[in-house]
Amino acid sequence: MISAERIEIPTMSDWAGFFRLGDEWRRATGKGVSVAIIDSGIDVLHPDLAGKVESSVEARIENKKVVFDPSDDGDSAGHGTACAGIIAGIAPDAELHSIKVLGAGGLGDGLAFMAGLEWAIKQKYRVVNLSLGTTKPQFFAPLHDLLDRAYQAGCIVVAAANNLPQPSFPSVFSSSLISVIKSEQTDPLNFGFHYGEVIELTAPGVNVRTAWPGGGYRNLTGNSFACPHIVGVIALLLEKHPNLTPFHVKSALHSIAMENLNRAV
Amino acid sequence: MYPETDGDMSAKIRRLIETIDVANVLTDPLTRSIEDLLRVTAADLNSAEASVLVRDGDEGDLRFLSAIGKVAAQLIDVKVPAGKGIAGFVLSSGQPMAVSNVVEDSTFYAEIDKATGYSTEMILATPLRYEGETIGVLEYINRVGEPPYSAFTPDEMDRAGRFAEAIASLVHAYESAKLLRDLGDRIVEDKEKYDIDDVRSWLADFRGGAEHREMMDLAVMVREIAGRGEAERQMCREMLEAVMRYTDSQTEGSFLGVE
Repeated sequence: MISAERIEIPTMSDWAGFFRLGDEWRRATGKGVSVAIIDSGIDVLHPDLAGKVESSVEARIENKKVVFDPSDDGDSAGHGTACAGIIAGIAPDAELHSIKVLGAGGLGDGLAFMAGLEWAIKQKYRVVNLSLGTTKPQFFAPLHDLLDRAYQAGCIVVAAANNLPQPSFPSVFSSSLISVIKSEQTDPLNFGFHYGEVIELTAPGVNVRTAWPGGGYRNLTGNSFACPHIVGVIALLLEKHPNLTPFHVKSALHSIAMENLNRAV
Repeated sequence: MYPETDGDMSAKIRRLIETIDVANVLTDPLTRSIEDLLRVTAADLNSAEASVLVRDGDEGDLRFLSAIGKVAAQLIDVKVPAGKGIAGFVLSSGQPMAVSNVVEDSTFYAEIDKATGYSTEMILATPLRYEGETIGVLEYINRVGEPPYSAFTPDEMDRAGRFAEAIASLVHAYESAKLLRDLGDRIVEDKEKYDIDDVRSWLADFRGGAEHREMMDLAVMVREIAGRGEAERQMCREMLEAVMRYTDSQTEGSFLGVE
């Protein structure tokens, strides 16, 4: 039987000689790190994003299968642009890749983003921003398999919790992805980690000012906007430590969050 | 079989009209209950307007089903194309979100505001889910009073998520009742195609189901209480919130129900 007591996780200093992050990543810009944003598309002409979006594809149904075509359709809802703006604010040199799965008619929510995730894994993008979720139980097992494939391919998937009464997949999975919930913090590097909670990471997600289609800005609240903050931080880490695996990254985030906590105390 | 006489047919049509009337009796209290809940929950969130949008067809389009506030009447049945605006995103993503300074938006909300003369400045939108399916979107717009408004807080977003649970059940009940009403309408239009006695017997079976009956009883009771005055509405809300807290506490821990 598993004890209900929490396991003590070593802090940064305990990892000395084995896992040394240093502080260089704090001055990184995400250069050379590919980041996929599975969402509603990105307004590539927004001043904050111009020249940063390396590719854009869009899902459509063909013979009952989801296929991806190059897209210049932008963002019909604003959400993908908002997430991209947050990532670009933290990691301005990261290579952004837009995978548009929302906005097209006839695509079921779970099916669309599962196809987007599979596409991101095939393209070998290093980090995936998944500010989406589904509560449909039929997606539990296939999403679990897909997340395991991402983990084995070294693709780091970051998902937003849905913060609603029903559990949402994949944010409630714990082993193969990083899940994030909003906090009222404003400093993107001052995030938190709560080992033992269903959703472990907390990051800024309240009244966040970010890019919006058409060149403007909006103040947004939601777990969707906490997720890209952690994605941005991971892009910084990967620039300086390109060989980190998904579990290294999670450990690194834990160590940094513990340092943040100690600094606050 | 004997050919049908005019008398038989008129008897069948009379029975059919009774059926349709029953279906209308089903949808009307549900519409009022949804509006009452919008009113009570909007007051709780200090929000000026609230609306329910439901799926319209299979392509991800939305349509305003119910609304309260200054421009409520103009919103009913207005359609939102798939993926458009904040409501479209919330439907397709299942993620709740709050947005300030919508007034700067040059896209969807500007079109709606132009049509209604209203000024949408901030929105809190959360999905309406029933048995894992996202069936619509619940929106709260602006604060009571004059701008500048304070942004919706994380606590208010959480509360809206719980309100959405209750409203989603009523919206589902409404949509089911509306299906029956629409079926009745279609039968009237194409009376030769259907055996009315079979339809009546199917309707009786459906309405006789224990779950449906209990849901209808609950909806009618909430509406009754809400119609008795502010004090009753307040008490009803507190009691419902207590029930929600209790059921929340019962489901904490493993969502799979594993101890």
